[in-house]
Amino acid sequence: MIDHGQMLSVLARADAARLKTFAETLIADLGEIEVRHSRTGLVMLPMRDTAGGTAFHLGEVLMSEAHISAGAVEGYGMRRGRDLEAAMAMALVDLAVAKGVALAECHSFCAQEAASQAREDHDNLRRIEATRVDMETF
Amino acid sequence: MAYVATRGGERAIEQSERLFREAMGPIEAARVAEIRAAMPYLIDRVMGEASLYDEDLAALALAQTGGELYEAVLLLRAWRTTQPRLGVAAAVEQGDLFTHRRISAAFKDIPGGQVLGPTLDYSHRVLETDVLAGKPFDPPKVDPADNPAPAFQPSVSAWQAANDLVDLPKPDTTKGEAIPDVTREPLLFPSKRAHTLQSLARAETGSVLALGYAAMRGYGQAHPTVNELRLAEAEVMVTHPSGTAFSAGRVKVSQAEVVSKQGETLGLGFAATFGWNEVKCIAAATLDLNAKGAPKGSATEEEFFLYHTEGVEASGFCIHFKLPHYVTFQSSLDAMRDARAKPVKEPAE
Repeated sequence: MIDHGQMLSVLARADAARLKTFAETLIADLGEIEVRHSRTGLVMLPMRDTAGGTAFHLGEVLMSEAHISAGAVEGYGMRRGRDLEAAMAMALVDLAVAKGVALAECHSFCAQEAASQAREDHDNLRRIEATRVDMETF
Repeated sequence: MAYVATRGGERAIEQSERLFREAMGPIEAARVAEIRAAMPYLIDRVMGEASLYDEDLAALALAQTGGELYEAVLLLRAWRTTQPRLGVAAAVEQGDLFTHRRISAAFKDIPGGQVLGPTLDYSHRVLETDVLAGKPFDPPKVDPADNPAPAFQPSVSAWQAANDLVDLPKPDTTKGEAIPDVTREPLLFPSKRAHTLQSLARAETGSVLALGYAAMRGYGQAHPTVNELRLAEAEVMVTHPSGTAFSAGRVKVSQAEVVSKQGETLGLGFAATFGWNEVKCIAAATLDLNAKGAPKGSATEEEFFLYHTEGVEASGFCIHFKLPHYVTFQSSLDAMRDARAKPVKEPAE
């Protein structure tokens, strides 16, 4: 079982097509949904300077955001890029989990996506490790 | 200023824009996708200079401008102003970077070791002209190692600090909207360090390289050695309405630390930018290293290099000289003719 933060991180990076397809299966059971926000916007990204310890802004990242609610329960999605449907799909999954709707299916979907992301990272890191160099000086 | 209002030429202006765009032809989503896939380093450079991270928008800007980089960056900076700011992410810490490349020219055996990552540093620069004759260039694939590299690598400067080689100040605790932002407040001198580093992050690569190179060649006070160079991905950590922190995705970043002997310790210069652009980071870090105590008006003086590496302002000022200056230029000519018409006094003997 992954915690809320991990679940959101997995959904934000999940394959957009699979996420949308899965979210569609949840809509019927979620009841009336109010859309508070469905928009693109920018998130400023700061970084810490390793020489002076100063936090400074690297620049802004384009995000898609969806904020929905069903009664007092909220669902939220924010993903990099301008795919509003994918952000809405993320918010629907978050709402479903918060309402206890299709919990097993949601956890299973997130677990599958998490495994896929972990495999991708693992494969990338094996390719990166192939470039490790042990230098000798003469 | 030296401009003058003019009228006329509307048709010519419209046709000139058409002439420019005609050369590129119709722009479709497939072309944008092809640019994005084929030119990741160009996309990175444009996103860094535009200070706006989105590969699709950067590819579109390149398609729309035919690769005229100043115009592409200007388009993105202009588009950025149409978007609301949704928030400020948590600050990226070096130790949290998903690292693809990490090298040091100062120390061979840095903690975590040296990982070359994707680079052409040690390649023969050979143009594959056979491609033009119809033979595709299909480079060999990477042979993955049995085990993965560590995703996160320790900091070289922290290791140096532990060995009494550098003095690292305590990290400041400024967060979120309180971090100074040159897109919302003027750049004043002496500049805040946050402004300096943000300005260098969005500076134009060629300008930074030119001034950094001047410093490297001896027009600066400190010769740089690359302490640490990283190409990595950073998580954009945002907050759910309930307060839960999560990553909304990863962005590519580059960072460089350069080092030089300063008295009995080592001085550090730092720079980072969006995308993978190590030349810009090394040159910018060199300017940062040289800035302290730089002579007024020199290439390494902060005011000089920050003003002159802002690509949108610089290119805009440069091209403004094409605007009609007829009245002021005529006035200069009149003054010149007057001077010529006046009899020249013979110098007294």
